[in-house]
Amino acid sequence: MKAQIVIVAQHTSGQVDPVTYEVIACAQELGRKQNFASIVVVLGKKTRGLAQEIADTCGLEIIGIENEALEMYNAEAYRAALGEALMQLHPAYIVLPHTSMGYDLAAPLSIDLKAACITSVEAILTTDHAVSFQRSLFSGKIIAQIVPCKTPAVLTIQPGAWRAEKEKVTHTVEICITQMHLKPTSTKTICMKPSEHEGLDLNQADVIIAAGKGIGNEENLSLIFELAKIFPNSAVGSSRTVCDQGWLGYQHQIGSTGKTVAPKLYVAVGISGAIQHITGMKDSQVIVAINKDPNASIFSVAEYCIVEDLEAFIPALLDEYRQLKSGQK
Amino acid sequence: MKILVCVKQISDTDDIVRIDASRAWIEYHEKTSFRMNRYDEYALEEALRIREKYPETSIDAISLGPARAVSTIRKALEMGADNGIHLLAEQNSFISPSEIATLIATVAKPKGYSLILAGVMAEDDMFCQTGQLVAAMLGLPCATSVIYQERFENGKTLYVEREIEGGQRECLHIDLPAVLTIQSGINRPRYPSLSNVLRARKQEILRLNIKDLRQPEPCECLACLSYPQTQLKGEFIQGSLENKARTLLRVLHQKALL
Ligand SMILES: Cc1cc2nc3c(=O)[nH]c(=O)nc-3n(C[C@H](O)[C@H](O)[C@H](O)COP(=O)(O)OP(=O)(O)OC[C@H]3O[C@@H](n4cnc5c(N)ncnc54)[C@H](O)[C@@H]3O)c2cc1C
Ligand SMILES: Nc1ncnc2c1ncn2[C@@H]1O[C@H](COP(=O)(O)O)[C@@H](O)[C@H]1O
Repeated sequence: MKAQIVIVAQHTSGQVDPVTYEVIACAQELGRKQNFASIVVVLGKKTRGLAQEIADTCGLEIIGIENEALEMYNAEAYRAALGEALMQLHPAYIVLPHTSMGYDLAAPLSIDLKAACITSVEAILTTDHAVSFQRSLFSGKIIAQIVPCKTPAVLTIQPGAWRAEKEKVTHTVEICITQMHLKPTSTKTICMKPSEHEGLDLNQADVIIAAGKGIGNEENLSLIFELAKIFPNSAVGSSRTVCDQGWLGYQHQIGSTGKTVAPKLYVAVGISGAIQHITGMKDSQVIVAINKDPNASIFSVAEYCIVEDLEAFIPALLDEYRQLKSGQK
Repeated sequence: MKILVCVKQISDTDDIVRIDASRAWIEYHEKTSFRMNRYDEYALEEALRIREKYPETSIDAISLGPARAVSTIRKALEMGADNGIHLLAEQNSFISPSEIATLIATVAKPKGYSLILAGVMAEDDMFCQTGQLVAAMLGLPCATSVIYQERFENGKTLYVEREIEGGQRECLHIDLPAVLTIQSGINRPRYPSLSNVLRARKQEILRLNIKDLRQPEPCECLACLSYPQTQLKGEFIQGSLENKARTLLRVLHQKALL
């Protein structure tokens, strides 16, 4: 097998994570632009089922690397196994998702391979003589184009930046599964613990009013709860920062390391729109954003954008609502 | 036990961010306010808690940046770090994570730290790389996005929980010396005490000019910066405060959301 682009698949409990297909879509784009072929590497204790699923979905060649130590994600074991496989494949690019696995693994792999490393890539730009990768800085307020100065380059792909392409695969796909010998790791993965932040079922709510750091202090939460009250079947969500401050419990947190929600209405109040937050709410049917900074990234996903200080706007909104109600009577 | 904490100075993220004329980096002005990267405050607080439990611990805080980065090192001393190290980069320009990590690793290597802590991510460049690179360069094991850590009785191993997607946790045992990158929420960072503020004011900070250190070879370079072309999905509601409130209520009502 020969390929210039190697994709590292991510999976949990015997299922391929959907983000893997986004990474494949990115790799396919890169491959088309540079006339490179792609191959997918799956690591695990047993990889046949996973490999077959990927093969059936995207039609790329797959390498399965098996070892007991790869049963759960372990940085050391993954790094050793991938390092060995990549030495043989000699790819120009290694692409991973920008997830807790991807950013854990990308930098050490780049050291092992003497490679460049560009994380959270959102787009690929090509000119006649160079390929560069686009990524966000300053919570999305600035876009940077980064060029690898070395080959190979390890890339991590921002979840949500590419749409997974599923194609009907008609040709037979080559799957090669190998048992790899690995030295025992000194870092031991013991177990996975479920999230401790259950207890609030945000997915049942039709309307979520979400508070961000912009509320400024805990007292202003009352504005958020009052606003939530005017909507039937509503709940209060938040950014991670609000939970870190201790203003709300983590069961309210929305985003990549919190809950993923898709209510009929999502009102983001004083939330900047960091990508990790957007990941958890972008599929909401209607998004309203209230922020005093007209350049806040949250406005790029909102349908209705309001540039105001929330401390003035929410009381005004509640006032107008009360007037409307009393007028209707 | 000797601990190194990496603290980066960043410009406040609520501020307006301007690109300089050559599109090569960010242009700061007199009003820009700078502060410690939030994830690094959590990392430093975690180090201080380790020292409270194991009083023989000493904590160094290191920052690479222009002259102004001294105020962030000073803040680390005020919070309770024992020593400050400033890697002076004279210019305000982009420095890639591999270069920063090489320089930090070069300084850290002879000091024999048992634990190196960094933030999971810098709020300005958002790379999520530096801690992992330092670990790989020094040949140390590394756990990222750490949300809980505890040292075993033997003093040689840590029990660590990494936070992963959806808030799940990956639990592992990792041998010291090691590098951890710290996730926000692991603790509540303290405010500086008066006595530490007074001590920090007088304390010398070790300063090394990066020009005098081994020059790292860049692995990636910044071609240019630009502002996002926000293709607005929606619209900015215009008018006075009351008008905006009324318009919003009307559209929500029309959409049967209210
Ligand atoms: C690995 C990892 C995982 C993460 N997971 C998550 C996650 O699951 N969920 C999550 O939310 N974050 C997550 N984060 C953090 C994320 O990167 C951001 O730091 C966080 O979302 C910022 O929260 P915020 O928008 O409330 O605060 P900030 O970014 O500080 O934004 C505050 C906003 O409020 C506005 N504002 C201030 N005052 C006012 C006012 N008076 N009126 C109106 N607007 C005002 C400001 O203009 C600003 O836009 C994660 C980060 C990492 C590294
Ligand atoms: N210039 C710097 N000085 C000190 N520490 C840094 C610097 N840059 C990055 N770090 C550390 O590395 C972490 C991750 O940064 P990054 O890889 O840029 O996202 C930060 O939270 C800091 O702890």
